Parts: sequence; C-alpha cells; structure tokens
Amino acid sequence: MDASGVIAGHVEQRAPSRRRWRFAVAGFVLLAAALALPQLTTNQFHLHLANLMLLNAIFAVSLGLIASVGQISLGHAAFVAAGAYISALAAMNLKIPPIFGILIAGLVTGFAAVLLGKVLLRLRGVYFVLVTFLAGQVFTLVALNWESVTHGANGLVGIPAISLFGFPLATRLRFYYFALAAFVLVLTFVWALMRSQYGRAFRSIAENIRLAESSGIDVSHYQVVAFALGSGIAGATGAIMVHYIRFLSPDSFTFNDSVAYITMLVVGGRTGLIGGVLGALFLTPLPEFLRGFVGAQHIIYGVILLAVLLFLPNGLVSLGRFFVRRSGAETEASP
Amino acid sequence: MGYSILLAQAALNGLVIGAMYTLMAVGFTLTFGIMRVVNFAHGEFYMLGAFTGFFTYVCWDIPFVVCLLIAALIVGILGMLVERTLIQPFRADEMSGMIATLAISVIIQNGAVLLWGPQPRPMPDIVTGSLAIGPFSFSWSRLVVIAAAALIFALFWLFMQRTRLGRAMRAVAQDTETALIQGIRVNHVYPLAFGVSVALAALAGALMGPVFSVSPFVGATPMLKAFVVVILGGLGSVPGAVVGGLVLGMIESFTATIFGSLVSDILQLLLVILILLVRPSGLLGQREA
Repeated sequence: MDASGVIAGHVEQRAPSRRRWRFAVAGFVLLAAALALPQLTTNQFHLHLANLMLLNAIFAVSLGLIASVGQISLGHAAFVAAGAYISALAAMNLKIPPIFGILIAGLVTGFAAVLLGKVLLRLRGVYFVLVTFLAGQVFTLVALNWESVTHGANGLVGIPAISLFGFPLATRLRFYYFALAAFVLVLTFVWALMRSQYGRAFRSIAENIRLAESSGIDVSHYQVVAFALGSGIAGATGAIMVHYIRFLSPDSFTFNDSVAYITMLVVGGRTGLIGGVLGALFLTPLPEFLRGFVGAQHIIYGVILLAVLLFLPNGLVSLGRFFVRRSGAETEASP
Repeated sequence: MGYSILLAQAALNGLVIGAMYTLMAVGFTLTFGIMRVVNFAHGEFYMLGAFTGFFTYVCWDIPFVVCLLIAALIVGILGMLVERTLIQPFRADEMSGMIATLAISVIIQNGAVLLWGPQPRPMPDIVTGSLAIGPFSFSWSRLVVIAAAALIFALFWLFMQRTRLGRAMRAVAQDTETALIQGIRVNHVYPLAFGVSVALAALAGALMGPVFSVSPFVGATPMLKAFVVVILGGLGSVPGAVVGGLVLGMIESFTATIFGSLVSDILQLLLVILILLVRPSGLLGQREA
C-alpha cells in the first residue's frame, strides 16, 4: 500500500503533463459517452433515472463546495426547495420564463445564503451542522404553513417546463441534454474555482482553520463565499429540477434529501470534486437495481451503504485511485 | 375557570411529552458526549422498544413493569452488539459514524416493516380512569408515564453517579485519554454506554406505546425532538437534556394550545436557533476547547 503510494507519487512528479493529458482524454471520452447514452435506450424510466443522477450529482458537488471550507450543511435541501419555489411561483404567477426563473432562483438563494451565512457561519463544526438542520426544518414548516403562496401540503401542480427559444424541453430526452449541460457547467465552474486562489484558501481553511486564520486568510469571508456559491448552485438546480418534475410540495425536498446529499458525498469521497459525482451516480439508481428484492430493497441499500463505509473509508474515489495506481504500477513495470 | 382547566391540561400534556423527550434526549446526548457519535438510529431503538412493549404486554399478558424491563434489556443488548460491530470502526471519523447510524436506521426501520407490517397498531391502556383534584381531572394513563419517567431517570442518575461503570462513563466523556491512563477500558465502556443510551430510548418507546400507537415509523418524531432538545440543552450535557426536554415539552404544549400545533413547531425551532446563536453550546452545555 505504502509502496504503491510512493510509486504513484513518483509518477506524478515525473510526468505531470502526461497525467493531465490522460485526465483530459478521460473527460472527453466520458462526455462523448454521456452525449451518446440516451440514443442507446428508449426506456423512459432509464432516461428519468439518468436525469435524476445528473441533478443529484450537482447537488452533491454544491454541498461538497460548502464542505471544502470545513462546514457540513444539514439544511442543503432547504436551499434546493427555496430555489424550486422561487422559480415555480415566478413562472406560474408572474409568467416569467423558467430559464430566467432558474437564474433568479440561483441569485436569490445565493444572496440569502450570504445573509444567513454571515450569522450562521459564526458557529463551527457540529454546531453549524445542527443550526443548518434547524433552519432546514423551519423552511419546511413555513412552506407547509404559508398556504396562500405555497398551497401548503397540496403543493403546486402544473409547473411549466423549461423552454429554450420557444423549444420546450418537455420530454425526458430533451431535458437530459439540458441537465447534462448544467452538470458540465457546474463541474467546470467548481473545478476552476478550486484551482484559483479561492480554492487554495478553501483547502487551507478545511485543513487547519486556526493556522489559516493566523496566516492572514479572512476565514469568515471565504466561508461565506463558499456557502453562498454552494447554496446558489443548489437553488438554481432545484429550480431546474422543479421544471422537470413539474410538481412541488413541502415534502419534495426535506431533511431526508439533505441527508441523502451528505450520504452521496461521504460514500463517493469527501475530498475532491469527483467524490460527490461518484456518490450520486452510485446511490441514485441503487434502489432501482434492488427492486427485485421486494420488501428487502431498503435493507439491502442500508447494508451496501454500511459496507462502503466500512471497507472504503475514503469513499468510492479510493476504488478509482486503486485502479489508477495499479495501471500506473503496470506501466512502470512493463518496459 | 375554563381557561385554568385548559392550561392545567396543557401543563400535564407538556409534562408527558417533556418526560418522553427527556428520556430520548438523555440517551442521545450520552452517546454524543461519550462517543462523539450523532446517533440517527436513536428513534429506531425507540420504535423497537415500543414494539417489544406492545408484544410482551398484549401477547403474554404480564405486568407492564416487566414489559418495560424486557424492552430495555433486549434493546440494550442489541444496541451493544450494534455499537461493537458497526459503530466502533468509525471512531476516528464523526461524519462517517453519522452516516453509518443512518444506514442502521434504514435497516432497522425497514426490517420492522418487513416483520410486522406498516400499519399502526393501537395499544390498550395500562390503567384507566382519572384523578380528580377539585375541578381538574387528569387521566391516570398520563400520570403513570410521568411517574415512570421520573423513576427511570432517578435510577439512571444513581447509576451514573454511584456505580463504577457510571463513573467510568463520565470519565470517558470528560477526557478519553486521561480515562485510558486511569485504567478504564474504553473499548468496554463504549458498547455499554451505547446500550444504556438506546435502552433509555426503548423505555421511552414502551412507555409512550399506549399514549400514541405502535408502528415502524413512530421513531421519527421523537428522534427529531431529541435532536432539538439536545441542541437546546447543550450537546453532551445530561442535565441540559433534562431541562431542555421539559422546557421543549412545555413550550410545545402551551403554544400548541394557544396557536395551533404547526405554528408551535415553527416557534420552537426559531427559539432554539436564537438560543444557539447567542449561546452556541446550549443552555447548560460547556464550551468546547
């Protein structure tokens, strides 16, 4: 294990450009596969699952952005729900096109997160987790009670689909390409952000908050930025999702969804960008694969979750690293 | 006159749910204080306690006190096994530990659905009739819950203060490494503490069985409330959980009587957020270093 780590480090040092090149090729191959994928199936349910996987992956990545400054939010679904409500209500009551509604939702939730973050981010560690949990609960209850606007538990029905230049994305196939574009956009944005000065500041805060503070890094500024960006992305994606599902109630995004996003992040791997994506791609379709085990599917889901935690403590990402290392060791040995 | 009766009724209801919240929250805060684990499966152990109480009471027709003991024992032992096998591997990692308890919760809840079906079962009252004091009348079934909860808590307090094991648990909660140096076997204390913690949840579940009904999903609400109580009282603080539980029960009962239950839920949460912002470590919690 240690030896392979040394070898991997060695390879990385010697040929960083080759590694980056390999990543770029892998990225393009994956993108091409993602573009071709829906042409291979006519099964509407599989397409639906693919759409949910993409959206969940964005949720997990946006939560990972907040986690990258060392804070875990247990109220992430509240921002998703807030974005969904903003865009849905704007489209239904003010006739604002969904595509603008999505932007408005992202901006409003991001701005709300700035205000909330300035207050809530004074709390750290477990206390931040707890207060975000409570804030999420308050949001669900308010959505349930504010019946004149949200229609309470009955929910909003008949939310319009996204329409691009008069071309409605009302089918699952069309929406797939929209979701894929959003996913690639978010992933690229977060990737670029993490490589910038901001990303370095985020990592130093996550690693040692006091050291970062005493090195002159404005910790609360960077934490608010990460919280606002993560929450804004979640809000915009919530809006995208609501124009796809086209129904919204206070039960659509709850505490359980917040927990689901954290689970995706932890199962996939907390460090780095890919973890959340892997977690979402693995966990979203998992209950469907287990559908054959009637009654026991949730139990098996729980068991698989436990097994991943027990045997892959660094998440599914470590599985990928394991294979990369092995292939690296092979090329090292073969010449 | 009508108001005073209403308020007295609200106070009694507040005490009943407060007692239940306290029992839940004490166990919850114990696992956090000692093991640094946020146990999301705590509500499922409440549910298991309710089912054990239900089956032993209805099928075997034995005194309810014995049912309570059986529920605490069975669920406590199960909790010890769960801790030893599934939670201990995550000791170094709070977040993975939290997700692991979540997975355990999913398994237990769906296991219960598989075994006993999803439909709620009404449980017969343990005692009937009511106590009349002047114009007020209080049903015995609720008074019994309060008395039993008080007794259970007194026993738990004695256990923590007087026995070697209780002292060992408190020592581990204060400082694990120093406790190790003193010769306390931390690896034995953890499962025992978890067992005691979930046994308290099971007792709460068995006690509340006759008040609410019994189904695989009854654990969710007490779990959320325990979460809120523990935040209110301070993570890891047992006195905080007691005070927080009773305060939350009272607030919930009175605001529900005056404003209705949905508004009451929002008010509770806002109050707790306010407290958390002013005093991050809760009402009686201690500031972390």
